[in-house]
Amino acid sequence: MDFLLNLAPHLINGIGLGLLFALIALGFMLIVGVMEVINLAHGSLFALGAYFAMMIIGPEPQWFGSMGEWYVGLPAGLRYSIALVLAPILVGLVGMLLEYCLRGTYGKDPLFGLLLTFGAAMVIEELIRVFWGSGEQVLQIPAAISGAFIWNGLIWSSYRFFAAAFAIAAIFMVWLFLERTPYGAIIKAGAHDSEMVRALGINLSRLRLFVFGFGVMLAALAGIIMAPIWGLRPHVGVDAVIPAFLIIVLGGVGSFGGAVVAGVLVGLTVGITSAYASEWSLMSMYLLLIVVITFRARGLFGKKSVLEN
Amino acid sequence: MDANTGIKAWITRPMLITFAVLVSLPFWIDSVGLYQYLGVEIVIWMVFALGYNLLLGYTGLPSFGHGAYFGIGAYAFGLSQLHLTQSVWLGLFCSMLFAALGGAAVAAFLSHRRGIYFALLTIAFGQVFWFLSIKWHTLTGGEDGLLNIPRPDLEFGVFSVSLDSNQALYYFALAMFVIVVIGLWRLIHSPYGTVIKAIKQNEMRTGFIGYNVWLYKWSVFTLSASIAGLAGGLFSMAQESAYPDVMSLHASGFVVMMVLIGGGMVSFWGPVIGAAVYFLARDMLGAATETWLLWYGLMFMAVVMFKPEGIAGAWQGFVRRRDASADAEKKPVTG
Repeated sequence: MDFLLNLAPHLINGIGLGLLFALIALGFMLIVGVMEVINLAHGSLFALGAYFAMMIIGPEPQWFGSMGEWYVGLPAGLRYSIALVLAPILVGLVGMLLEYCLRGTYGKDPLFGLLLTFGAAMVIEELIRVFWGSGEQVLQIPAAISGAFIWNGLIWSSYRFFAAAFAIAAIFMVWLFLERTPYGAIIKAGAHDSEMVRALGINLSRLRLFVFGFGVMLAALAGIIMAPIWGLRPHVGVDAVIPAFLIIVLGGVGSFGGAVVAGVLVGLTVGITSAYASEWSLMSMYLLLIVVITFRARGLFGKKSVLEN
Repeated sequence: MDANTGIKAWITRPMLITFAVLVSLPFWIDSVGLYQYLGVEIVIWMVFALGYNLLLGYTGLPSFGHGAYFGIGAYAFGLSQLHLTQSVWLGLFCSMLFAALGGAAVAAFLSHRRGIYFALLTIAFGQVFWFLSIKWHTLTGGEDGLLNIPRPDLEFGVFSVSLDSNQALYYFALAMFVIVVIGLWRLIHSPYGTVIKAIKQNEMRTGFIGYNVWLYKWSVFTLSASIAGLAGGLFSMAQESAYPDVMSLHASGFVVMMVLIGGGMVSFWGPVIGAAVYFLARDMLGAATETWLLWYGLMFMAVVMFKPEGIAGAWQGFVRRRDASADAEKKPVTG
């Protein structure tokens, strides 16, 4: 029992982390499904979301003169909430711009989409360096969710709880949106067979624009939540997007449930190994992946799809 | 095509032009404002990119973790010089051997896969090697890498050549480049080459004809990895050190960019052009602005959007149009 209790904080951290990875993976998967593009810029947009949020939260917005002063006077919690809404929207717009650039590659070798987004990743990362510098930055979080508390003789970080709860809520919302709204139905249909969706009279270019924006918004959201845990560096996106790729391969491309299960699995693996061998905690997920794909070629829940051609 | 007979099957005119340009490079590179060491780097990455294009351009397999094998080669060279015996030949042999072993192990997992699974798994495996190189301190020296790797003389049994100067090293790397170019050229124009090109066009049909697609994909990946290892070994000779940076996702991405910008999808010479363009861009843009990667990235995006066949593709298009208009001028005689 003691053993489990000692492990508990690591498990909570792991689940929170895993679900945030799953959130990134879901956005990535929607884009892969509808556009058949491997969006290598996903990680950079994750980082961009966190940087935007940092700007919005403050504490020193010099722009707008007295407006800025009034804004900084607002409670930190409110500014944080504004950032949680506004920053993903801004990133969504950047994503839409990227989708617009991608249009020329549809119908060609999927490699070109992947390469274009690789170039975009580089450009975004460099832009972050230009605007915010290469150094480590700090995203301020309100006092209500920072700090630590002692419970059952163990120190727990409040923010880790917040992150885990937020990730669960966000994934639930995405699930609701995809499964319970007509828009979700169109997106899922588009991911299954986009030509058929067009034949049914849906504006495919608008759908793609929207899905790309939506997908990168999820990444940006995960970035904002992750930033206080990982710190904020221009290349932080790589650290986030690689686990997300792993989760997709683990769970199976195109499977919502697979991504969530794989996310939790990866999170738990990382959480448990970080308790015993923190140096190797990130390595463990690669080993998990290799074990799984040795036995299940398409991941845990993957089905055969057009993307393999 | 008379490319299958005699000496022409081995040496072609573009090859001679490329070799001539590269052989004369040390004599004029200083006068155009560049420096000798740049030539060494360019030739090494040309070798790497050529080997990579075997996979991307000819077999249609997008590997996004190829820096790993370059890195393995670099470490293998360094470790063999530091712990075994100092010999260029042994070092480069170790580079190729261990990169090939790494590639063979990874390819065993990958060769069933296609498309997105293939690309994602190459990224994952690339990261595994990168991670190992950082964390396995006792072997790799961690983030600092291996330092002070000796650069031994080149032994030919009866005599030996010192590689201390950049110029000597350049000609040695160039010799390796020549071997790789001719070897790959022959490979691509062999029955084996025909099969891998068929796999690029349609993997399933190639399998239906009776070729063992898995084995071909596995072997081409292993071969490509061993060439990357050779380039990595040369790189650690040039740098006199080996470090994890070359294995990162970025380094792996750069070689993809070189191959694509140069036009590896449509031409044998694409990777060669692309590697040269990359280093020239790095030095020229880098001299003008600190954020050269931003501009290089934008340039790359523009190439993908507007001319995905790259520089070699643009050249081929130009030649085709020129020939077409030359034909058109001849024809009216009959009318």
